[in-house]
Amino acid sequence: MTLNWTPQQTSMRTAANVSFLPTREREANKRDFTKLELKVDHSNRPLWACADGRIFLETFSPLYKQAYDFLIAIAEPVCRPESMHEYNLTPHSLYAAVSVGLETETIINVLNKLSKTKLPKEMIDFIHGSTANYGKVKLVLKKNRYFIESPFPEVLKTLLKDDVISKARISLEEYQAGETFSVSKTPGEMDTHSGLLDGADLAAAAEEKETHSFEIDPAQVENVKQRCLPNALNYPMLEEYDFRNDTVNPDLNMELKPQAQPRPYQEKSLSKMFGNGRARSGIIVLPCGAGKSLVGVSAACRIKKSCLCLATNAVSVDQWAFQFKLWSTIRDDQICRFTSDNKEKFRGNAGVVVTTYNMVAFGGKRSEDSEKIIEEIRNREWGLLLMDEVHVVPAHMFRKVISITKSHCKLGLTATLVREDERITDLNFLIGPKLYEANWLDLVKGGFIANVQCAEVWCPMTKEFFAEYLKKENSKKKQALYVMNPNKFRACEFLIRFHEQQRGDKIIVFADNLFALTAYAMKLRKPMIYGATSHQERTRILQAFKHSPDVNTIFLSKVGDNSIDIPEANVIIQISSHAGSRRQEAQRLGRILRAKGRLQDRMAGGKEEYNAFFYSLVSTDTQEMYYSTKRQQFLIDQGYSFKVITSLPPPDTGPELSYYHLNEQLDLLNKVLNAGDDAVGLEQLDEDADDIALLKARRSVGSMSALSGASGMVYMEYNTVHGKKTAQGHTKTKQKDPSKRHALFKKRFG
Amino acid sequence: MPQVRIVAKNFMDMVAVLPAMKLDKLYESTFICEAVLRSLPPLAKKYALQMLFIESPVTAKLFEEWVLPDGFSKHRVAIERLLQLRVFLETNDRKKETSYTMNPKFQSNMRKYLVQGGTLPREPMSLGVTVRLPTLEDLEAYAHKQWECFLLQLINSAQAQRLTNFSSSMIRVFQRGLLSSRENEAPRLTENGFQFLLMDTNAQLWYIIREYITTSEDRGIDPTDLISFLLELSFHSLGEAYNMNSLTEVQCKAIKDLADLGVVKLQQGRKESWFIPTKLASNLSISLSDSSSRRQGFVVVETNFRMYAYSTSKLHSEILRLFSRIEYQLPNLIVGSITKESLYTAFENGITADQIISFLQQNAHPRIAERVPTVPENVTDQIRLWETDRNRVEMIPSHLYEDFPSKEVFEGAADFAREVGGLLWEDSNKMRLIVRGELHQQMRDFLRRSK
Repeated sequence: MTLNWTPQQTSMRTAANVSFLPTREREANKRDFTKLELKVDHSNRPLWACADGRIFLETFSPLYKQAYDFLIAIAEPVCRPESMHEYNLTPHSLYAAVSVGLETETIINVLNKLSKTKLPKEMIDFIHGSTANYGKVKLVLKKNRYFIESPFPEVLKTLLKDDVISKARISLEEYQAGETFSVSKTPGEMDTHSGLLDGADLAAAAEEKETHSFEIDPAQVENVKQRCLPNALNYPMLEEYDFRNDTVNPDLNMELKPQAQPRPYQEKSLSKMFGNGRARSGIIVLPCGAGKSLVGVSAACRIKKSCLCLATNAVSVDQWAFQFKLWSTIRDDQICRFTSDNKEKFRGNAGVVVTTYNMVAFGGKRSEDSEKIIEEIRNREWGLLLMDEVHVVPAHMFRKVISITKSHCKLGLTATLVREDERITDLNFLIGPKLYEANWLDLVKGGFIANVQCAEVWCPMTKEFFAEYLKKENSKKKQALYVMNPNKFRACEFLIRFHEQQRGDKIIVFADNLFALTAYAMKLRKPMIYGATSHQERTRILQAFKHSPDVNTIFLSKVGDNSIDIPEANVIIQISSHAGSRRQEAQRLGRILRAKGRLQDRMAGGKEEYNAFFYSLVSTDTQEMYYSTKRQQFLIDQGYSFKVITSLPPPDTGPELSYYHLNEQLDLLNKVLNAGDDAVGLEQLDEDADDIALLKARRSVGSMSALSGASGMVYMEYNTVHGKKTAQGHTKTKQKDPSKRHALFKKRFG
Repeated sequence: MPQVRIVAKNFMDMVAVLPAMKLDKLYESTFICEAVLRSLPPLAKKYALQMLFIESPVTAKLFEEWVLPDGFSKHRVAIERLLQLRVFLETNDRKKETSYTMNPKFQSNMRKYLVQGGTLPREPMSLGVTVRLPTLEDLEAYAHKQWECFLLQLINSAQAQRLTNFSSSMIRVFQRGLLSSRENEAPRLTENGFQFLLMDTNAQLWYIIREYITTSEDRGIDPTDLISFLLELSFHSLGEAYNMNSLTEVQCKAIKDLADLGVVKLQQGRKESWFIPTKLASNLSISLSDSSSRRQGFVVVETNFRMYAYSTSKLHSEILRLFSRIEYQLPNLIVGSITKESLYTAFENGITADQIISFLQQNAHPRIAERVPTVPENVTDQIRLWETDRNRVEMIPSHLYEDFPSKEVFEGAADFAREVGGLLWEDSNKMRLIVRGELHQQMRDFLRRSK
């Protein structure tokens, strides 16, 4: 058998902005690396490294912890189940590694030390190639002057050969231009990899480094940054903020409250950000429910400068403001929210502003109030730009936001950073590299997030429904037919009864299909929330769900997918979903990840093996089966397993569940068939001004595979949630009906 | 271990089915007599020893009197075995009474053996001639390697790096029953073939040796010679060198084939050449049930259907390839994933979900062996579900009846078919019905009658 991997291998060498082949495609060819030379003591070393960048890590190795910390810094995790992890070395991941202070030789040395085999030459070349330019140049804001900094004077000289950059340079002595740089010393990286480095490496890392720098014109910063991107000079700049020496911007007096104890992984992510005493820009990836907001608030408390916090919608804005007050000592008058119906201003010369991406990026005419506030946002120099849910926001929105706001340091937060699509490339250079990504399973083991039992329930289509499903004229009703499949309904009813009565759980039922949502909720007599539900009603339902022992199940349309915070729920039943979107699956799971109960019960080996349940109901032999496999991929790669259940409800259940008799089923079928095509389709949410309206245009154009996530490559926010509200954020006294508000907006700005 | 249908359980089963003449010829050798005696069930052994010095026939009745009622089944098995192997010969006298005598050849040989003690089939060579012999570990490694190489050639000759000296026709003989080759297609492993691969080495060796012996006649070799030589071989001492000169022509040929299987190692000195029996040789006469030497497991299966096999063996990678997609091969690790497609290929080849699952469970890496279950539940469930998914379509041979002359005839026929339990489908509008094929005759008769 001949092996054919040369093409990829060569592409690995070309480094930098190489677009990698999609993972699936690469996996189709078998890779033969049997020729690699095993080291004598290979059994003591934890990993294998392949020439194509794939790394396999044994989790049972005594060196696992160190190796994991190291790998997560230099490589992208592909999958992380129990015994064996897989990682990919990519240009982006190496960029991130370099930016947190790892040097080329250190990466190669440590990797070589951990590897069971001699490192393949291709990999060494690849690391050299990828790190040659990355991380060599830093853009530092010191005392409100922008400096370009590098330990390598020759790199700076290369940069200065570029017209744009040399023009942007500010020289104290004009006549002396070009050849000399100011030299300063910066403290070395105090890092956590010390266990893996030998004495010499350690000494090298701790040593103070000489850096060379020149100053550039603040007005030219954007242009200089552009010139340094991979498509131009290819010396992407890392942004660092020497906030301790910033005397120009006023300090914001805020501390973490004593009861805010960051957990180990939160500490670790922060240490990546503040590794060398300055604040780096970048992205931190933590699963839903793992406490992203505490990381954000902690970062703001360390920098102690004005902070602009961007969220995706008004509800999140309220939640963020609440989190700031909860974890930090910030005074109420130092924090303000800026949304379409909440235009506050902070007092004093420094503070925190929480707003939405849309409010900042909005291009149309604004009201007088908001124009004033936005002007302030524009003029202020922000210490920290905190960006929530960065995976949702398209790149051009970021560009706009980042160009409008002047910030020293940007921190992006997300739960599901999906890799290898173009948008992540943009994020890498617009915000910064990924600084930290937590391992879901480790957090589960540590009891920090709930241990979820995931199950896929196979519901066979009834004969009559399947016959209609196969008919061509029903193509638009396919979804309604498989969602309304009586067997699925019975399975759902059974699960609700089981969890309500046997375990006393709180259940969320998700349905994307509005027709199904209504039909299910009405039949089962449960409250439901969807796009058009008024704010008051939402609040009332959520309150009842939280506090009333009689309301244990609510039905949610996709308005509930994102950041709606319902900590009480621990069971999710998904009866219909948005095609093959892996992210929706992960986000929905995130609704029940917040750990409940006592910590020691939750830890590995504790009393409760599983304390949360995620059921996905699929009708067999329909499109759903295909989609559901796609959807689960992300979670499966994180180490979750989906158990397939085929016999729900149990065969001995009779008429106590609905739709037992054939005539009832036929009735239901008639209802589905007689409903208009519009009525049985997906829920179409009106865009709210708070939301990212720019997406609206995209809704109609995405290819089917992209929309469904079926290509496994592209993520698109099909529709964002508007005006949703949780009781936690109900600090507002007055809330307008979202639909009304929308109409007003149209009138005013349309 | 899955039930193995393809293998005679034991060498002796094969000996037992030889024709009387050949069997009697075999008993000319003392080793064979001893080997046969050893192979007997305990009670049969006792009977044989009891009869050793009795020449006159002993009636079956007398034998029966020796056993207690609850031991009767054991007694029957013992007698049956003794008769099968012609250690006992059955005679019926005029009164139709059955009695047993011992096979005279067997008897005299065993007596001689008892009185004079056993002699080795041949003396090992002195160390002076053979200089340095391989250590037992080397020998075992050699045997293992040789056997694996043979298996690899057997299941996929393209993958074998080094071919054995077996002629391709010989290999084809071995492949018979293990691989199916449709026309113009690469041979594929059958269900039996997969079972064969899942068996342990001794059982596999048996299968091959059996094929080797049963086809020897086609090569002009008397199977009896082979059997006696193989049994003889199992009495040689492990790791000693034996001179090739002492072998007959047939044996000489056989020893080369055995070397290819790893049963013996051949070495060439300055003047002489010799063979060294390996562990496989001494295992030849041991019955299968004793072979408990399980090799350590090597497979880790994860919840995401990824499979990591700690193995350097090409054979393992070939076995895994039968039901999974191999993605990476590292010096001591094979990485693959179990996919729907790969499983469907396996199912098509007649490999069952249970076989795959039991393979994964039995070969679980020690690291995960304590984990319960060793193979994640979602993976085993899914493998089974995929299998049952394939089996949802059931084929029933049947007949379609149409063009009925009248509604009455049609309904009559449909009722009749329903009565006899053979009606599968009916369409009363178009007057067509489908009935199970085995009822065609009855249907015809009925239709003829109703005309």
